[in-house]
Amino acid sequence: MFKYFFIKELKETLRDARFQVMGGLVFILLITATLVGYRGFDQLQQMRKQAQQQVRQEWVGQGNKHPHSAAHYGHMAFKPKPTLSFMDFGLDSFTGMVVYMEAHKQNDILYSQAQDSTSLIRFGEMTIAFVLQMLMPLLIIFLVFASITREREGGTLKMMVSQGVSTRKILLYKISSYSFITLLLFLPAFLIASTLLFRQSHTALQTHLTGKFFTLLSAYWAYFMIFIVLSVLISAFSKTSRMALVQLLGVWIFFCILMPKATANIADNLYTAPAKYEFDDVIKKKVEAGIDGHNPSDKRFEALKQQTLKKYGVDSIAKLPINFSGLAMQVGEEYTDQVYDQEFKKVQQVFKSQNRVSEVAGLINPLLAIRQVSMGLAGTDYHHHVKFATEAENYRRKMVKMANNDMMVNHKPGIAYKDYKVGRGFWESLPPFQYKMASLNEIVQQNLWGIAALLVWFLGGFALILYRSSSISIV
Amino acid sequence: MLEAKDLTKTYGNKVAVDRLNLTIQPGDIFCLLGANGAGKTTTINLFLNFITPTEGQISIKGIDVVANPLETKKHLAYIPENLMLYPNLNGLENLEYFSGLAGKSFSRDALVNFLLEAGLQEDAHKKRVSKYSKGMRQKVGIAIALAKNAEVLLLDEPTSGLDPKASNEFAALLQKLKQQQVATLMATHDLFRAKETGTHIGIMKEGQLVEQLTTQEIDHSDLEKLYLQHMN
Repeated sequence: MFKYFFIKELKETLRDARFQVMGGLVFILLITATLVGYRGFDQLQQMRKQAQQQVRQEWVGQGNKHPHSAAHYGHMAFKPKPTLSFMDFGLDSFTGMVVYMEAHKQNDILYSQAQDSTSLIRFGEMTIAFVLQMLMPLLIIFLVFASITREREGGTLKMMVSQGVSTRKILLYKISSYSFITLLLFLPAFLIASTLLFRQSHTALQTHLTGKFFTLLSAYWAYFMIFIVLSVLISAFSKTSRMALVQLLGVWIFFCILMPKATANIADNLYTAPAKYEFDDVIKKKVEAGIDGHNPSDKRFEALKQQTLKKYGVDSIAKLPINFSGLAMQVGEEYTDQVYDQEFKKVQQVFKSQNRVSEVAGLINPLLAIRQVSMGLAGTDYHHHVKFATEAENYRRKMVKMANNDMMVNHKPGIAYKDYKVGRGFWESLPPFQYKMASLNEIVQQNLWGIAALLVWFLGGFALILYRSSSISIV
Repeated sequence: MLEAKDLTKTYGNKVAVDRLNLTIQPGDIFCLLGANGAGKTTTINLFLNFITPTEGQISIKGIDVVANPLETKKHLAYIPENLMLYPNLNGLENLEYFSGLAGKSFSRDALVNFLLEAGLQEDAHKKRVSKYSKGMRQKVGIAIALAKNAEVLLLDEPTSGLDPKASNEFAALLQKLKQQQVATLMATHDLFRAKETGTHIGIMKEGQLVEQLTTQEIDHSDLEKLYLQHMN
């Protein structure tokens, strides 16, 4: 029975001029987005890889100098483009891509693509994610809105039921047929994407690439199914095709246009992140006055001095077996790090709360859910940005500590600053910066809300179909 | 074959079918006459279980329609008024689809034969239904009914909008099915056809079956008089 149903749906849809135009358009957009997205990713990734290598060569080949000078000379970390980012640019276009790492201070991650673009970028980019998240639901709506109403209007629903098909079967068959048709549109782009992906190995940076890719596809499939089920349901319970279309377009506008914007604004109003200037100012003040405000830096310096003299049983800095400046700088560095970590955690908490708002909103709106999950799996979400920032900061601390330690131990008192130098061997002992992406497991855990929301929508839709299908009006 | 006992359907305060009692035997062609809104279509829809009765019993071949909606459908064929079919498919494809839904699978030749038997010219079989006239669509509907080989035929104004020739061919087909002991319930406005092809006539008014007689008992002019008498 299903065979006949399926063949008929397929023929009817493929012969429908509206579908041919819309489907063709989405089909072309999807393939274009895939190719363009991949090319863009490939170029950026090559550039950043080259830049990272160049920075490393400059570090290693910086000649003989004092380690602390090198720590001031600094180092740079470029954020690598995650392989799957060609499917979903996510926040990557708005977050910075390079951070300058130097002694004494934490710098921002700078130079986002958005800075170089016109404000048009705010309207979104032509990425696979855009096509899949925004346009596919629209196509599905145009494909499915009349699925039941047209059958009712043309008397064929009555004919079908009179031939002994239950309404539940009709709805489930419709859903199966449309999910296959959607898959047909999606398949060529998927094949191109997977060929591009697996043609070359990007696995140095990526973990679980295959797993992430297929999880991403499953998430999108679930997202499409949600819209298919929703459209079939609304069509089944609408009196006319026109009413079904109006309702579904209303749903689309609410899900894809109004609510994402509103959610971002609400989240921003509920949890306001401090301005960059405030953030820096707080850190500066706390470092000077002490975390509790009663332990200024000169007092801390004096205490460290007394403590160190006592430890080595000498009465002046000159008699110490170590370089006190090196020690003092490292201790100061760690104090700043402590302040920074505290403040950074606060800001992160604000962003986390903002994210939580849209995570919870995902339970009302599947678009918000798929957006989170998709960015997470593509490696372009907030969590990945924080991970990069944290790893870059850890690397900076490692670099600074290495320089300070060497100075403390090897730069003996009495030798002038300009006369103590280290060379290539020392530079090479700092391993190159390597950023590792989150594992599939971590991503799933970070996006539990989004995944749960998609599941709830998916299962809820089917539950409604099973539960309500017998109350559909046939006449 | 077809039986309704005290069949009643109400929508709020409005009574669409009012305590209807009806029995149709194999080989009977029962023509339901009545003005629009008299409850003819509602009666047919009740036999199809498209709507559930408010009160009373309704059965096909002794099987309760409400309790076994899928079982009773196996025995019946139905042609709605103004059947649109699928405009993007051709006649043959439409027939194959609906037969397939009923769980039947036919060879291409067998399908062609059903369409020919229903009176659809062979050159039309592979044209899209969007190019069909109403009469041609109706013929595909008949072919679907023929292919189902049902013992019960439910027809909702099958000849409305057909030209006299098509209408005549349709009547001939009904006679043929009558020979095969098919029980037919047909809602119609066509008094002439009802007298010519029907075996029984029922006149409905405001949900009630106000008159029930065999076609042998009455001639044309008397039938018309009787009908108009009830309508006024």
